[in-house]
Amino acid sequence: MASRALACCVRSVARAPARLNHGSVLSRSACAPLAPKQRPLSVLSCSQRPRWTQLVRISGPSVHQCRHYGDLPPLTLENIEERVMYVLKLYDKISPEKLQSSSHFMKDLGLDSLDQVEIIMAMEDEFGFEIPDAEAEKLMTPAEIVQFIADKKDVYE
Amino acid sequence: MSRSDVLSLYRRVLRIARSWTAQSALPHDTDTERKYIAQEARTLFRQNQQITDPESIKRCTEECEARIEIGLHYRNPYPRPTYLPPMGLATQKGRKLRAQQRLRKQAKPVYLHSHDET
Repeated sequence: MASRALACCVRSVARAPARLNHGSVLSRSACAPLAPKQRPLSVLSCSQRPRWTQLVRISGPSVHQCRHYGDLPPLTLENIEERVMYVLKLYDKISPEKLQSSSHFMKDLGLDSLDQVEIIMAMEDEFGFEIPDAEAEKLMTPAEIVQFIADKKDVYE
Repeated sequence: MSRSDVLSLYRRVLRIARSWTAQSALPHDTDTERKYIAQEARTLFRQNQQITDPESIKRCTEECEARIEIGLHYRNPYPRPTYLPPMGLATQKGRKLRAQQRLRKQAKPVYLHSHDET
């Protein structure tokens, strides 16, 4: 029954005459029949056929099968490093010129332990997972933070 | 009371601030209260950063914990005001001023110690 609805939608999309060229509507209309078939969306799109024919233009038989699963881009070491540096530059007590990957928070940048707690909280917010107290106290340079996150998230070196 | 305990307390307050929802459940109130909690924690912790006397440190941590408990229980982060003690106002002549001040200081609850008395 779901496959019948799907076939009906694809046929209706393919038969639509060429009127206007809306690129975003095209991709959306191509994706909509391929959405989870249990949803009533595919049935609705069949009934909305008269309205769609004025908006949709298909160039040839190329209907792209685009499946976007809701997931973040995979983490790499450079990505983690970039994000850590970005968050640190946004912190107002650190001057961006002096910041390097190996600069110690207390010795080189002159921060104190309360600032270090705030920085680790900002990292927790950025990467979305909690860092326990015992390990959070030991992270004193950006390079250590990157290493810790890479260990936690199983990023290959 | 070691340094790491104090830092854990600070972290605990910041975590509470991160996931706080106001009693009224309005997004505006939630936002204001979250900012208030974080700001208050920051200023008070920094203000008392240099204290080395163990008794004062103990009193400050007690104040912090009391405020956390009360705030979580009543869902209200602002300090809970209390009544003046009996005979707590100074007289016109100022003779009994010191006694009044002593009474007031004694009656002030632990969670209001950093609160300005105006």
